[in-house]
Amino acid sequence: MKSHADPYEDCPTSVVAGQGPRLKTLVLGYGNPLRSDDGLGWHAAEQLAATLPDLDAEIRTTAQLTPELALPISEAGLVIFIDATREGEPGELTCNPLTPQLVPVRSSHHLSPEAVLALSKYMYGVSPPAFLVSLCGACFGLGEELSPAVAGQLPRLVSLVAQLAESGSASAASLS
Amino acid sequence: MTEKQRNTIVIDPVTRIEGHSKITLHLNAQGRVEDARFHVTQFRGFEKFCEGRPFYEMPSLMARICGICPVSHLIASAKACDALLAVRIPPTADKLRRIFGLAQVIQSHALSFFYLSSPDLLLGMDADPAKANLFGVIEKNRELALDGVHLRQFGQQIIERLGGKRIHPAWIVPGGVSEPLTEENRDAILEALPQAQQISERTIDWFKANLEPFREEITTFGNFPTLFMGIVKPGGGLTFYDGNVRITDASGDVLVDNLDPANYNDYIGEKVEPWSFLKSTYYKPKGFPDGIYRVGPLARMNVADRCGTPRADQELAEFHELQRTAVLSSFHYHHARLIEILYCVERMRSLLEDPDILSKHVRAFAKPNALEGVGACEAPRGTLFHHYKIDEQGLIRWANLVIATGHNSVAMNRSILQVGKHFVRGERLTPGMLNRVEAVIRAYDPCLSCSTHAVGQMPLHIQLLSWDGKVLDEVSR
Repeated sequence: MKSHADPYEDCPTSVVAGQGPRLKTLVLGYGNPLRSDDGLGWHAAEQLAATLPDLDAEIRTTAQLTPELALPISEAGLVIFIDATREGEPGELTCNPLTPQLVPVRSSHHLSPEAVLALSKYMYGVSPPAFLVSLCGACFGLGEELSPAVAGQLPRLVSLVAQLAESGSASAASLS
Repeated sequence: MTEKQRNTIVIDPVTRIEGHSKITLHLNAQGRVEDARFHVTQFRGFEKFCEGRPFYEMPSLMARICGICPVSHLIASAKACDALLAVRIPPTADKLRRIFGLAQVIQSHALSFFYLSSPDLLLGMDADPAKANLFGVIEKNRELALDGVHLRQFGQQIIERLGGKRIHPAWIVPGGVSEPLTEENRDAILEALPQAQQISERTIDWFKANLEPFREEITTFGNFPTLFMGIVKPGGGLTFYDGNVRITDASGDVLVDNLDPANYNDYIGEKVEPWSFLKSTYYKPKGFPDGIYRVGPLARMNVADRCGTPRADQELAEFHELQRTAVLSSFHYHHARLIEILYCVERMRSLLEDPDILSKHVRAFAKPNALEGVGACEAPRGTLFHHYKIDEQGLIRWANLVIATGHNSVAMNRSILQVGKHFVRGERLTPGMLNRVEAVIRAYDPCLSCSTHAVGQMPLHIQLLSWDGKVLDEVSR
């Protein structure tokens, strides 16, 4: 839903691979690590860091998406968000491209990936290509462990994120 | 008038604040607001479930109360544990804890001012609710939005540098801090200070230059006499870390001074209302509700004689000229918040330039030497007390937390009533009415997760009820 006129229509909205030095990929795993499958982003980030130490990407974890993330996003060539979803069958893996969206913001520290991308676009004039990689969760109750359905699919998710990160922004579109 | 002859407006949830709440406005037969209540509808019960845990776990446990101001809980909790150990922490640890606390005040105040309240101040109280957010601020004044994001990031990055992570860092421990400051981190923070100070100063200038459209709000947003409470240094200077409690009256005179925070129970009463999980506090000698007082930035600016840093002292002097008495309008919480950001930046520099700041002696070790301890500090939203009792094995047997938002509970209710009486008319809520009722709450920057030690964000629900209990209007968002 677009609630505002676009005040920065002329701003560049992506960084095109091949023009200048390649910018780093930013991987953002987010969610509540004390809420079982909601901690997917944290588990994925840990596995990425542990199994692919040479991955050319900055890996961050955060409980929620906040406006301050707009700056590192604006400096990245590609952004990969990792989060659990309630939509689909437990363990179902999805990967969707994201575009900046001026969604109504009611909270200071509870932004959607599209809203953070929009902040990057309107504050810093850049919105890199971005993807949301998700697994459908089975359990969001108190707990630090992933459900079997999600834990079983975590290696696939990690592999997909690594593939996206290594391909960079140029090839990312073809993977979507 | 009987209870049945009243109408009621309910705002549920309240937006752009931290936590879950609703507001009820009761109307009389003439459609005028005659009573108002701010209900905090979330509950977590930290004081209960920490019972039986080892005392040294408390700082880390208590930090989980809040994602916005975990550092204040860390500090108050660690100070309570210091009291249990009966140790004096190393001087460098004392300074590092202060820097940590100042960084948190900066990021928390930046969040409150730029993210939550600047849409009202920049776009006006009657702005389209769909635009009253950070995107609306970017559209109208991109530099202001960038400044807000930068300042919050500045505070968070210091917390991350010192504590290892931005949210729920565990660096502050009983007896001091777990790691000394590195030269690299000190230099990085010092390098970032000038820009933070520039942002602080131009934001204060912007705020002061744009007050004219808010004359009516300044007059009606919690503008009434109360007491004010805050911790001050010996001699009356502003502090966020250590000192004694001072209470001033509405005329600006000191009512009582040098109260030991450890004896808070002697002068602070706590009251539970059946309609809210938020405890209400009052100054015991005056009883409830006459003992109403306010805490937080407005109170600190009222109780402090000076900030102790050059630019903040200039701003404080100007602030004190707003009224001949204490500055009474809660609208001025915003102004006070900005002065405190400036103070924090200035104060941080002097602490970082201390020759001992890189000392490796940052923690005192001991076993428990007392069975009861109180820790207090000034959190971004006001005075914070942690009070623990342990057994001989060092296990928590009892805990009590007195939180800033609870101190302001009575004043917030009275502020909503004042705003409701002035702005709400008839049986329908207009966006402007609704936003002003919310905005007066935002001025206090309540943190309901802290005040009930509860989980979650704070949506808003307002209800308008007729004299026979029928819901006339209701807004949830």
